[in-house]
Amino acid sequence: MFGLFKKNKKIDIYSPVTGRAVPITKVPDEVFSSKMVGDGMAFEPDEGILYSPIDGEIVQVFPTNHAVGIKTKDGLEILLHIGIDTVIMKGEGFERFVNAGDKVSAGQKLVEFDLDLIKKMAKSVITPLIITNMDMVDKIKCNYGNASQKTIAASITLR
Amino acid sequence: MERKAIVKNEAGLHARPAGILVKKANGYKSQIEIIFNGKKVSAKSIMGIMSLGLFKGSEIIVSAKGEDAVEAVNTLVELIEDGFGEI
Repeated sequence: MFGLFKKNKKIDIYSPVTGRAVPITKVPDEVFSSKMVGDGMAFEPDEGILYSPIDGEIVQVFPTNHAVGIKTKDGLEILLHIGIDTVIMKGEGFERFVNAGDKVSAGQKLVEFDLDLIKKMAKSVITPLIITNMDMVDKIKCNYGNASQKTIAASITLR
Repeated sequence: MERKAIVKNEAGLHARPAGILVKKANGYKSQIEIIFNGKKVSAKSIMGIMSLGLFKGSEIIVSAKGEDAVEAVNTLVELIEDGFGEI
């Protein structure tokens, strides 16, 4: 019977920071909260380190080091954006540890950032994690609350 | 149909302008591409645009194929040249 044994692939995404996972609608920026570029969730970091949420390859690190794009081997595209309006900091307080083309593992350090400086200079430290190619996704199940590299922040079921 | 455009934003095409560009591009039926330094990406995907690493002053080509190609290219070029309202 067609479809009886079809099992849609599930991908686990770990928290990219130590802190708390919150709904994407809490992000004070319409580009993310309105799901303009994709669906996902956000994180309130307690520590200034961004870790890779998944195994994959770095698509790009923004020149000012405040955002990273990752592509997984299944083709899922994930955008991580540290803080809101952090682009105005022009890279101050951000240090990258990876570059475009690098292969990364879940839990690997991507960027170090100065939390206090972000709080002073930018709009917010809330860090969105967005899946930018939602056409591949059937559903996203998010786990909100306390989060760390060891906690599964979201389970993605592919189409 | 294709036209050149120059990225005007101080921080290049960062998340907000890229998001606006992608949302606008997705509103058109045509296939739309951004070409930079010999690399071609779909204007309908933010990851593709991010991979170009566009900075202030980058000269790009907006190219579209389809029934609303002319409107698509003109609207997107205008958006880019206006700095997405940031400048």
